Amino acid sequence: MKYLSMDDRLAKNRFDSDDHNSHIIVDKTACNTCKHRGCTYCCPAERYKWDTMSDKLIFDHVGCLECGNCRLICERLKQGVEGYAWNYPVQGRGIIFREG
Amino acid sequence: MSEEKFQVIIIGAGVAGSAAAYTLAKAGREVLVVDKGRAPGAKNMTGGRLYTYALKELMPEEWAEAPLEREVTREIMMMMTPADSVAVDSTFGSVNQQSYTVLRARLDAWLAEKAEEAGAMMVPGSTVDGLIIRDGKVAGIKTGDEELEADLVISAEGANATVAERAGLIRPVELKDVAIGVKHVIKLSEEIINERFNTVSGKGAAVMCVGECSKGVSGGAFLYTNKDSISLGLVVDSQSWKNSRLPLADIAEELKRHPALARYIEGGDLVEYSAHLIPEGGFKSLPQLYADGFLLAGDAAGFVVNRGFTVRGMDYAMLSGIAAAETANEAIEAGVYSRSILKSYESRLQQRVLKDLALFRNSHDYITRTRHVYKTYPRLAADLMRNIYNVDGSPAKLVSGLVKKTISGRVPYFDVLKDMFKGGRSL
Ligand SMILES: Cc1cc2nc3c(=O)[nH]c(=O)nc-3n(C[C@H](O)[C@H](O)[C@H](O)COP(=O)(O)OP(=O)(O)OC[C@H]3O[C@@H](n4cnc5c(N)ncnc54)[C@H](O)[C@@H]3O)c2cc1C
Ligand code: SF4
Ligand code: SF4
Repeated sequence: MKYLSMDDRLAKNRFDSDDHNSHIIVDKTACNTCKHRGCTYCCPAERYKWDTMSDKLIFDHVGCLECGNCRLICERLKQGVEGYAWNYPVQGRGIIFREG
Repeated sequence: MSEEKFQVIIIGAGVAGSAAAYTLAKAGREVLVVDKGRAPGAKNMTGGRLYTYALKELMPEEWAEAPLEREVTREIMMMMTPADSVAVDSTFGSVNQQSYTVLRARLDAWLAEKAEEAGAMMVPGSTVDGLIIRDGKVAGIKTGDEELEADLVISAEGANATVAERAGLIRPVELKDVAIGVKHVIKLSEEIINERFNTVSGKGAAVMCVGECSKGVSGGAFLYTNKDSISLGLVVDSQSWKNSRLPLADIAEELKRHPALARYIEGGDLVEYSAHLIPEGGFKSLPQLYADGFLLAGDAAGFVVNRGFTVRGMDYAMLSGIAAAETANEAIEAGVYSRSILKSYESRLQQRVLKDLALFRNSHDYITRTRHVYKTYPRLAADLMRNIYNVDGSPAKLVSGLVKKTISGRVPYFDVLKDMFKGGRSL
């Protein structure tokens, strides 16, 4: 089977995304002091990327599979420190698995 | 009974929640199930196979109508290196209806429907944000602007139990106690699957792999045949993966191209890409299972056993859902919802779920710490097999000599013995 980009993979899924309100909040400026940046390689949906041009984290909640891995990978999300929060999308929004 | 107040509110319409709801509704209780998914099952994912004994226990009559994909009659255990693989392929003609492959969007929707038919009220599309706690007793849930009251709340909210955690009822889940699973569902016709797996409609295979699939990190890959699709995925220990610094999404995609697996999915189309956590801490990381007005079931309680060659969570989720419902029944009859009465939940679980978790208490440590299993042994197995099958005219060797030749210098004999001994005692 041919190699699929993340966009191609996620395009197969059904989402009802809330484009404007993110269920996960990260402080991209504060992320500069993070030593491991684990979110950038542990998210199965590649929602976190380190942008080398701006030397800043980029995060897109649309396409999140709601697995919760980043909540535990990132100490700040886990503890919910200022500027960081992890919640499930509200009232049926987000991923809709049709297979599961 | 006041009109707005339920006897029991269940958070989560997964297998644990629906099993509890079904049992309670059958007993005539007023039970409400809330789930954040647009429909029950919309947020859930598994490998997976369901060991059916638990489903039969839940519904002895109706279970056969459940949307089960294929009965697993063939088990393949595979070790893989980047190019080679060695597999033990077992076909069990004698095993009857022991396990079936499932897809959760279908299974969960069906279970929820059964619970609803039995009289439970299902409210999907509601994310629980918190609990109502009064005088130290859980008295209901909060979702959006609403507050709903109940005598008892059962959390069946799954691996990422944020509600119970934030209410301070369980200690926060640790990274070292979870694994992350990523899965591709690949569409193929029923006939092609039958041909490729040498099987007939209604029967199928389960493949568990270790080695190259997880790049030597603790974990493995799985492949299950559904009716007309294949579930192919990767499960890795989250902490070990963080340490490895490898790109998870890329390695999950590479899985599809390993020659040992690619042949099974050739020509198929991806229909879904999903990810989910698995609680793997086992017995040693079990949370407090009950509090005043509160019970915990399924993944939220950490009821999963991963022995590498079998993963069990859905059957324990069902059993604990049933046990939670029975405990709730007892409490309702007594009109007492305090810890002192709810503690009977633990004894109900003792003989089944907790006994297994205790028996395999070391399997998670074994699986995450026995590094040779993921790199060295697959290499050794593949090399040994190559040596055994190799005929190139050079002087032949006895198998014992080949074993020695294969192992020598790769791994201390003592390590092999130690891993075998510990494995035998942990898995
Ligand atoms: C990759 C993978 C492979 C697996 N393979 C197998 C296998 O082969 N066999 C097996 O037996 N087990 C397997 N398991 C484990 C099995 O899937 C789980 O043990 C099982 O799904 C647990 O069921 P549950 O009902 O406890 O939780 P879940 O199925 O996770 O259900 C929890 C429910 O709660 C809802 N919920 C959560 N939070 C909230 C909230 N705040 N508000 C409202 N609703 C909420 C969710 O939407 C969900 O519907 C596997 C797991 C994974 C990830
Ligand atoms: S792991 Fe957390 S703190 Fe580190 S870069 Fe990612 S989001 Fe920021
Ligand atoms: S919840 Fe999972 S899919 Fe969503 S951003 Fe976090 S790691 Fe990625």
